[in-house]
Amino acid sequence: MPHDFEPKIVAFVCTWCTYAGADLAGTSRMLYPSNVRVVKFPCTGRIDPVFILKAFQKGADGILVSGCHPGDCHYMAGNFHARRRFAVFRKLLEFIGVDLNRLEFSWVSAAEGGKWVEIITQMTEKIRAMGPLTQFTDLADEEQWSGALGNPELKAVYDQV
Amino acid sequence: MSRIGVFICHCGENISRTVDVEQVAQAARQMVGVAYACDYKYMCSDPGQTLLKKAVAEQRLEGIVVAACSPRMHEKTFRNAAQGAGLNPFLCEMANIREHCSWVHDDRAEATAKATDIVRMLVERVRKNKKLIPITVPVTKRALVIGGGIAGIQAALDIADCGHQVVLVEREPSIGGHMAMLSETFPTLDCSQCIMTPRMVDVVNHPNIILHTYSEIESVDGYIGNFSITIKKKARSVDMAKCTGCGVCMEKCPQKKIPNEFDKNLGFRPAIYVPFPQAVPNTPVIDREHCTKFINGKCGVCQKVCGPGAVDYEQQDQLVVEQVGAIVVATGFKLYDIGEKPKGSAIKGYGEFGHGKIPDVIDGLTFERLASASGPTGGKIVRPSDGKEPKQVVFVQCVGSRAREKGISYCSKVCCMYTAKHTMLYKHKVHDGQAYVFFMDARTPGKSYDEFWRRAIEEEEAVYIRGMVSRVYQKGEKVVVMGSDIAVGVQVEIEADLVVLATAIQPRDGADTLAQKLGISYDKYHFYSEAHAKLRPVECATAGIYLAGACQGPKDIPETVAQASAAAAKVMTLFSKDKLEREPIVARVNEKYCVGCFACKKVCAYGAVEEKEIRDRQGNLIRVVAYVNPGVCSGCGTCQATCPSKSVELDGYTDEQVMAMLETL
Amino acid sequence: MNKSSEKTKSTVTIDTSGYEVATQEIRSEAKRLLTEKIVDAVVGYQGGRRGGSAVPVVITDPDQAEKLVFSAACVNNLSIYLTKAKKEIRAKGKLAVVAKGCDLRALAGLMGESQFKREEVVIIGVTCAGVHRAGTQPGQPLTDSTIAKKCRECSVHIPEGSDLIVGKLPPLPNLSPTEKELMEKLDAMTPALRWEFWKEQFTRCIRCLACRQVCPFCYCEQCLCDRGRPQAVDTSPRPSGNMGWHIVRAMHLAGRCAGCAECERVCPMDIPLNLLNRKMAEELKELYHYEAGLKPVEKGPLTSYDEKDDQSFIK
Repeated sequence: MPHDFEPKIVAFVCTWCTYAGADLAGTSRMLYPSNVRVVKFPCTGRIDPVFILKAFQKGADGILVSGCHPGDCHYMAGNFHARRRFAVFRKLLEFIGVDLNRLEFSWVSAAEGGKWVEIITQMTEKIRAMGPLTQFTDLADEEQWSGALGNPELKAVYDQV
Repeated sequence: MSRIGVFICHCGENISRTVDVEQVAQAARQMVGVAYACDYKYMCSDPGQTLLKKAVAEQRLEGIVVAACSPRMHEKTFRNAAQGAGLNPFLCEMANIREHCSWVHDDRAEATAKATDIVRMLVERVRKNKKLIPITVPVTKRALVIGGGIAGIQAALDIADCGHQVVLVEREPSIGGHMAMLSETFPTLDCSQCIMTPRMVDVVNHPNIILHTYSEIESVDGYIGNFSITIKKKARSVDMAKCTGCGVCMEKCPQKKIPNEFDKNLGFRPAIYVPFPQAVPNTPVIDREHCTKFINGKCGVCQKVCGPGAVDYEQQDQLVVEQVGAIVVATGFKLYDIGEKPKGSAIKGYGEFGHGKIPDVIDGLTFERLASASGPTGGKIVRPSDGKEPKQVVFVQCVGSRAREKGISYCSKVCCMYTAKHTMLYKHKVHDGQAYVFFMDARTPGKSYDEFWRRAIEEEEAVYIRGMVSRVYQKGEKVVVMGSDIAVGVQVEIEADLVVLATAIQPRDGADTLAQKLGISYDKYHFYSEAHAKLRPVECATAGIYLAGACQGPKDIPETVAQASAAAAKVMTLFSKDKLEREPIVARVNEKYCVGCFACKKVCAYGAVEEKEIRDRQGNLIRVVAYVNPGVCSGCGTCQATCPSKSVELDGYTDEQVMAMLETL
Repeated sequence: MNKSSEKTKSTVTIDTSGYEVATQEIRSEAKRLLTEKIVDAVVGYQGGRRGGSAVPVVITDPDQAEKLVFSAACVNNLSIYLTKAKKEIRAKGKLAVVAKGCDLRALAGLMGESQFKREEVVIIGVTCAGVHRAGTQPGQPLTDSTIAKKCRECSVHIPEGSDLIVGKLPPLPNLSPTEKELMEKLDAMTPALRWEFWKEQFTRCIRCLACRQVCPFCYCEQCLCDRGRPQAVDTSPRPSGNMGWHIVRAMHLAGRCAGCAECERVCPMDIPLNLLNRKMAEELKELYHYEAGLKPVEKGPLTSYDEKDDQSFIK
């Protein structure tokens, strides 16, 4: 069934759990939307928030970061460090004004092929409904922003600074 | 890198059924840097690999992308093939277009588009790949074994028999551990000391074993293959080289009334003593806390009577440094002292059972000493309070174990079996006695174990009561045990002569401190954690350190011995090569830009990051930067994501490689 | 900037007589430290060319101690003179530094990040009632309208943990927390509206990187945002790169920023940069009960973890 808009979804995953979980979805021949592009890392601990920024700038409409469940990390604590890092980073993005529906996090183990399928399917559908993310890509096209603050509430706050 | 070959696999029809492989190859040919692209029915087959090697030679390829199954399946295969073709194996990457594409999508156009995208990402990645050379680490072929119980003894003997030197460190004055304390062992009822002591003698006589008793680990430096261990040899006050083990000092020592720890304080020992007659080494030690000479200087008898002049009151603690390549941790267990409520612990204690207050309420190990032929009573089972033979004995299982509300939720594993054994030993010695056992479940998996337990009930007439004990109290000469029989649904009260509690097994005191020195992890009970519960049960996550016995979790003797031999086998595998080769996916510091904030060091779970001083030619300190020890680094990359200036990079997963992939989005 | 709102406020003047005391005490302490050769140099403030202004100074001669001052014009966070970025000052030997409470927090953070050891520095702490906001004419009294935004909500008037604390604290008036109010307004907006706000702010950024230059924690030799291969952030001062730079900056300072707000003070385009730092600090307090303090800690909130950390955002 063709859709008006097919979102681009990028998944940053660790090799030991989520990548293997996605492999399991494959060997189990489970079907899910083809919108996701997987970038493999040794561990979620390796995933730098800068990558998320880059992916958004390059036109990702939604991003998933996924790794091992707490306690399952192949490297003992990489996912714990990642959990803190992204808990804070998503708050920053939210404050900057990014809709957090576009940035998701999950624990998917090597045994959870079904969970992987579920997460990718739900995320694709949700972001398909939300439409494309143009915030970052629009910025790239602009030399300078015109600065017309249409909203009076915003104008008031802006003037206050 | 501008000459990349892309090889697209049909995987029979597994890929080509959904992905138009020819179209992907066509698209690949248009990609920047791709010099050659083709598709083939089975890339992993012999002809497939030959095709790849031929193409590398003919097309002078500098990098390879194999678009096929998951790298978890065949990355090794194709990296080997690349190496066979004269390429560095790390210049070969796999694009997963089967598990992540053809098998999970059914629309041919969509799947083909996605496969093309995946190939494009991997092509960009390979363009940024660098040659990586496997890391080699020299290996010191000597092992350290910590703990001289049956686990440590077994591991030490196995490694030593293989021709490698072993340093065995034991905290107590003698090796032997808990097994030397046991009377007879289940399920065969053979005498524990009869099978244990010859092994102890083997240790002391083994030319490859260096034994440090009455010693502790002071500090651990280094990493797999190259540990440097500082051992504190506590002052024995007896010169081991001079002592002949004649025992005259012990006979003449005027202090004779010191409770004997080895006999669970049932008997006495002098201030200069060996823990038990078969101790190894058979060299006494002076208990300075109880020795009159050390208390007020008014003795010195042992020195006077010692023929060889071995007694040395001036002896000091001594530090020795040993270089080893591998470590086996076998520190064993202790029994939960339920009378006490440990300070600052979640464990609550069992005041209601009277242990420590009522003399005839004892734990399992005390019963072992009572039943042991070499024990304080010569194997006669008597009550500690009055020395009378107990006619009714109540055994209580799961004391402390499996009691979440009391702080310990695990099963101590051996209590069911040893309690069954105790009832038998008791029956064999007190024919007219009656044994009762309060139990929750009987857990008897193991060869001949269930048969053994049934024999206790069916042949030796132990009465098993399924239920819990609520209270134990003294009533005249008797000890009353109040409990419930849930099978019948009644309250039970037994007037016993002796109560034996099967208290929980806990790691040794100080297990956490030792773990911190070794850099290994432990669980909330302080049992040491294995690297993988199923597939790496004897290895620690810290490379080069292995586990044996009850320090990892409650275990019986055969299991302990099996694990000890397994740990020894792991050590021998490590020692089978002169150099250890590791995958070069490790972090590397750019010393030029590192500002030494050591965020990397703080997040490294392996302790792989060290502080390195950079000095000028005159030797003046210029600055301190991070250094990642490639022998220790496991390649998770958490350091790189944490480093603000990206002065540490994980080879194989550099920012450049990741960003190149993201640029294709 | 917004004159009309300033006028409507009644003028509350803050007593800065304690700064005179502080000045005298700093001078005698500096003189003593240098004479007794306890330190090789003292980093402090001296009067600027325009009356009433103040600029950082490094003195090595005890006779120069008379130059040192402390006033409401002493806005700079001098901790940056101790980091590796200012190697020539570190090279002078052992240093003493004058620090306000907010500066001491930065010093503590830097020590936690191994940039120097406590024993390498003598800290002369100044009891501080507040300093001028950016753009205040030198010599103006410290009032409700001339005080810096950060000082309105200051919780570290007394730099506990310094080697010596000088000056005395006057009774402090209650000042409205303008930054907090602004933060609340932003928090109440929709993400889309906040995006517009920040987009407008960041678009004005000329990427002079004064914010980076003045930040005690931006002491990297090579900034990620200057790197060309790979380029994480577009280095030209255009909207996309600006957004990237400010996000990366805020993220890299999360859990480290001491809240001295120097970034915001030096910004020639008046971008409210401290709002981002403050937001991160608030989140870290909420999530991990972490607050930048006056004493060095071994591990910051983003270099440590707890197995029980919140993960309600993870599926």
